[in-house]
Amino acid sequence: MALKFLVVDDSVTMRRIVLNSLKQIGHEAFVEAADGRDALNKLQADDSISFIITDWNMPDLTGLDLVKAVRANPKYETLPILMVTTRGMKEDIVEALQAKVNNYIVKPFTPQVLREKIEQIIATPVA
Amino acid sequence: MGQVQNMQTLFERLGDLKSFFVYGQKLIPTLQKIVDFMQATIPLLETVNQSIQESTNKLPKAAVQIDSVTNATEVAVTEILDVVDEATSDCVTIISKLESLRTRLDYQKKSIQRLTEKYPDDPDVKELVANGLNPEVILEDYTSVTALAGKIQAGLMNITISLQVQDITSQQLASANHMMNSIQQKLSSLLYDIDVKDLKETADDAKISVSSDLAFNPEARYDKNHETQAFADLLVAENKTQTSQKEIDELFLKK
Repeated sequence: MALKFLVVDDSVTMRRIVLNSLKQIGHEAFVEAADGRDALNKLQADDSISFIITDWNMPDLTGLDLVKAVRANPKYETLPILMVTTRGMKEDIVEALQAKVNNYIVKPFTPQVLREKIEQIIATPVA
Repeated sequence: MGQVQNMQTLFERLGDLKSFFVYGQKLIPTLQKIVDFMQATIPLLETVNQSIQESTNKLPKAAVQIDSVTNATEVAVTEILDVVDEATSDCVTIISKLESLRTRLDYQKKSIQRLTEKYPDDPDVKELVANGLNPEVILEDYTSVTALAGKIQAGLMNITISLQVQDITSQQLASANHMMNSIQQKLSSLLYDIDVKDLKETADDAKISVSSDLAFNPEARYDKNHETQAFADLLVAENKTQTSQKEIDELFLKK
């Protein structure tokens, strides 16, 4: 089944780069959000969203807060979430994993890394 | 008897007072030096005050300039991405047309083969194949053009990847702006100590405008060596095992 991505980043450039990378690896369905709050609204309004790719540092509601809010809703308990961020400290990665992101990419990334992480998430059976 | 004692005490006190005045006279030059020194430092303090105020007033301008650099680079990157997108789209078209050319080339190759089989001794056919319809030569050109198109496509993708630097540098600039804001606040409080009026001028007229909707990571780095990604992969992998979960929990508790 084709995935529909919710791409969350406050940088227009980064959203475009993520979208271009997704297109390059064969994905076609996307929704964009400029911050965590916008993402939550779009997620609640669109049941066809099947994958979230989110930045961490964003105004209003951060990517980490978005992950926590999404996971707090039983409906989205198994929704795949990939964090794509500049934050590469061990504590950051651990905190994101504790918040239940499925995988983690440190910017700058390549489309190959993006593909690899998406495939890993999809291939991992839901607990 | 009592009066004699009182007089004696009075003389003693007068003696103390005399000693105090004698000491005071000796102290006067020193006090004068202190007063002279303080008078000399007033212009110096005024210079320091003026210098701090000038620096404080320049900070908002620098902050605005940093913001404009961020905006300008974002516009420039968007323009580059427009060009890259168009070139990528052209590349996809070229590769698709080359694929269709390949199909026709295969058909042509078979046709030429049939033609040479049918007319093996015809000099016209031989010349045609030798000079213009040699499928091997055409195939060679096709292969090199296809490789070139693939190389251009990969190059365009590398440009896109490198443009992630804009997001990373904008976070670094936002961090610098934040630091400048802190410095300005410190300088303002210093001005307050020197002259309350100056503080009012700084606070009202020269406040740094740090965009409140800008979230940034002060540690953002443009690092393409992928070591950090490898480290993240390790932690993600470890997170899936019970043993390492313990380690992660310990790390989490340390925070």
